[in-house]
Amino acid sequence: MSNVALHMRKLVGTKHPLLKTARGMVFDGNHNLQMKGLFVMLISKAAGPSPQDDFAHEEMVSGVYPNQRSLAEIMEIIHTSYLIHKGVVNLDSVLPEDGPISDMEFGNKMAVLSGDYLLASACRGLAKLGNPKVVEEVASCIADMMTAEFTNFTDPDGKDTISQTCQGFSDWLTQTYFSFGSLLAKSCQSAMRLAGHSDQFKNMAFTFGENVSYAEQLAKDIKSFTNYDESSGLSLTSAPVLLYRERVPAQEYENLEKLWQQGPANYQKIVSLISKSGAISQCKELLAQYRDKAISSLECYSDSEAKSALVNMVTAVSYVR
Amino acid sequence: MAAPGVSCRVFFRTLKTLRRNRSALNTVQEFTNRTTNGSSEISLNNDSLIRRLHSRPSSFQLTCYHKHCDNQHNHDRHHRHQCHIPSRLATSGSSISFSTKSNAWHLVPSSRTLTTSPLYFSKVTPSSMADIDPYTLVESDMKDLAPDICKVLEIDVPKLEYMTQYYFGRGKAFRPMVCLLMAKVCNNHLNTGEIVLESQRNVAMVAEMLHTASLVHDDVIDAADERRGLESLNKKYGQRQSILAGNYILSKATMLLAQIGNPQIISILSTVIEDIISGEFMQLGSKEDENERFQHYLKKTYKKTASLIANTCKAVAVMSDVEETLVEAAYEYGRNLGMSFQLVDDVLDFVASQQAMGKPTDADLKLGLANAPVLFAAMEHKELQPMIMRRFSEEGDVEYARAMVEKTDGVKQTMMLATRHSEEAVKTLSKFSSCSAREALARVSQILLQREK
Repeated sequence: MSNVALHMRKLVGTKHPLLKTARGMVFDGNHNLQMKGLFVMLISKAAGPSPQDDFAHEEMVSGVYPNQRSLAEIMEIIHTSYLIHKGVVNLDSVLPEDGPISDMEFGNKMAVLSGDYLLASACRGLAKLGNPKVVEEVASCIADMMTAEFTNFTDPDGKDTISQTCQGFSDWLTQTYFSFGSLLAKSCQSAMRLAGHSDQFKNMAFTFGENVSYAEQLAKDIKSFTNYDESSGLSLTSAPVLLYRERVPAQEYENLEKLWQQGPANYQKIVSLISKSGAISQCKELLAQYRDKAISSLECYSDSEAKSALVNMVTAVSYVR
Repeated sequence: MAAPGVSCRVFFRTLKTLRRNRSALNTVQEFTNRTTNGSSEISLNNDSLIRRLHSRPSSFQLTCYHKHCDNQHNHDRHHRHQCHIPSRLATSGSSISFSTKSNAWHLVPSSRTLTTSPLYFSKVTPSSMADIDPYTLVESDMKDLAPDICKVLEIDVPKLEYMTQYYFGRGKAFRPMVCLLMAKVCNNHLNTGEIVLESQRNVAMVAEMLHTASLVHDDVIDAADERRGLESLNKKYGQRQSILAGNYILSKATMLLAQIGNPQIISILSTVIEDIISGEFMQLGSKEDENERFQHYLKKTYKKTASLIANTCKAVAVMSDVEETLVEAAYEYGRNLGMSFQLVDDVLDFVASQQAMGKPTDADLKLGLANAPVLFAAMEHKELQPMIMRRFSEEGDVEYARAMVEKTDGVKQTMMLATRHSEEAVKTLSKFSSCSAREALARVSQILLQREK
């Protein structure tokens, strides 16, 4: 793991303090977001050397090709730049308590520049991989993540909202795929491509990445209800709310929305409403399904330490009480 | 996810330290210094340069050395070279010449004096080239360029689609035009006719997309309200989604580039993306030392503007499969053209009217940027230097700097430098066999000097 961090620094190629800030940002205390990179590294290791490669032992470092390692780093860099750019604020929406407008403007400048800087590093890294198909796949992840910010799940300021056109849980799946799933799924797939593995390996790696993302996000959403505390807050776009909306008459959902708009004082009430409706247990069922799908997609790889590590990680990220 | 404001606050803190600690900015420069693979830079010995400018304009000489990874002359960047014209340029052995008056390639009479206003240039119309409009030659390829780019950007999310397609078809499309002409020149050189390959046209599209994406981000950074005669995206939709839309354009451009399927082309264009952003970082800082400051400016100009033009020219040359020296010539043409383009832009910042530019004039000064005319003026009026260092932040700084530029011949000197680059650009074209596209490219470098917007 520390290796990824080390290489990431090398790839970015500078001791610039902004980078340190960026890294501090991605560590949120609970989840080290470099976990995504670890998934890519482990699935590369689980898949093993390329079938056509007779000199794999000389090239591979602890079971992973150098370019697969680079890919994992690039993925982390892209994700970090996405987080930074998401943090750009609309100056018209800045409230007086946020701080002086000139400071916010300056913060924006820095967010834009450092995010761009990381993106440029990612582009250079991608170009170095020398595989146009991989460049295309990974670039399309960036497009997907940007798309996620323009759907009816977020308002222009990046706050969670739900528009009337929402289709329910299927929209949640699309949104989760665009914002998190696409990057992990396509990176896992590209890692297979870089080693010259079969189409079956590529498809399975994609399925793995996709389902892990759903399971991980579902677990997070469920936890925000089961371990509710005042500080963490709720989101109207979380899976339990969307499932609740599908389960109850329109009238009841409107009541919930009204409660939500009245502010955090009512959140405890919302939590109990949703728990009673059975939406949470439905979420848990879905979570188990996605988790099992992710684990079964690993069946194509022969048993190894890397494979059991992947299974353990999937189990850990999708664990809810 | 963390609240959107949080990261900004974190960044603000970082930047405070960054401002205090100038060495941090130097780190960025060191980084940019290291990435010189495939790029060249110009080094000007300012003192001697200025002396020459004032005494004998015809002997204006420019040190122009190239730094490549594989270059056996490993120039020390701090070492001041005696001014010289590289032999490559002295012995062009071509039909292109500047001295004969009747020559169609005749650009600027050597005896001519430059005035402060580029309006002057519009009166100079060398007879045989007056009616060549470079755009007409590539009209068939240019016609659907913007619609095709819009097709690449299509997506089933209306707001994103609208925002990303917003600027296309509104600008001059200067970069794709140069790129397409260069493609024709290269293809013609190998007797494959003056057609443009599909992949070369894609590079032209990528060039315009990368440029537009960088404009979208620039406008947020510079808080610009207008662009290409339209209300800017950040003004209309806020900073946040503008940035994200810019990223979307970038990623679609990268995808289009990847679909060409040539790792070398991907590599060439990825340096452009890097250069643009490191140019942006360089713009944040300035140098104390007078000489270094001008070099810093030139390097910034290369990274921010010339790199895109130079490397797209190089990319289309690589695709047409011309020999290595011609790839290099294509790159050199683009680099000189790009430098000239930006220098003229700097001049226009002072002299053009707001209406013609589609953006307010004096914009650079107001943003705290010292562009070429100011830097030239500061060589005579040392009192400008502290103003440059404080980025014209105090009241009256902008007005004073403007007055000094008008008083000195900062604009004139900048135009001379731009003219010099234009001439270099035309010279490099002599390596290609003659065709109408080559003539058009030479004309482009001339039009640049005459443009009013």
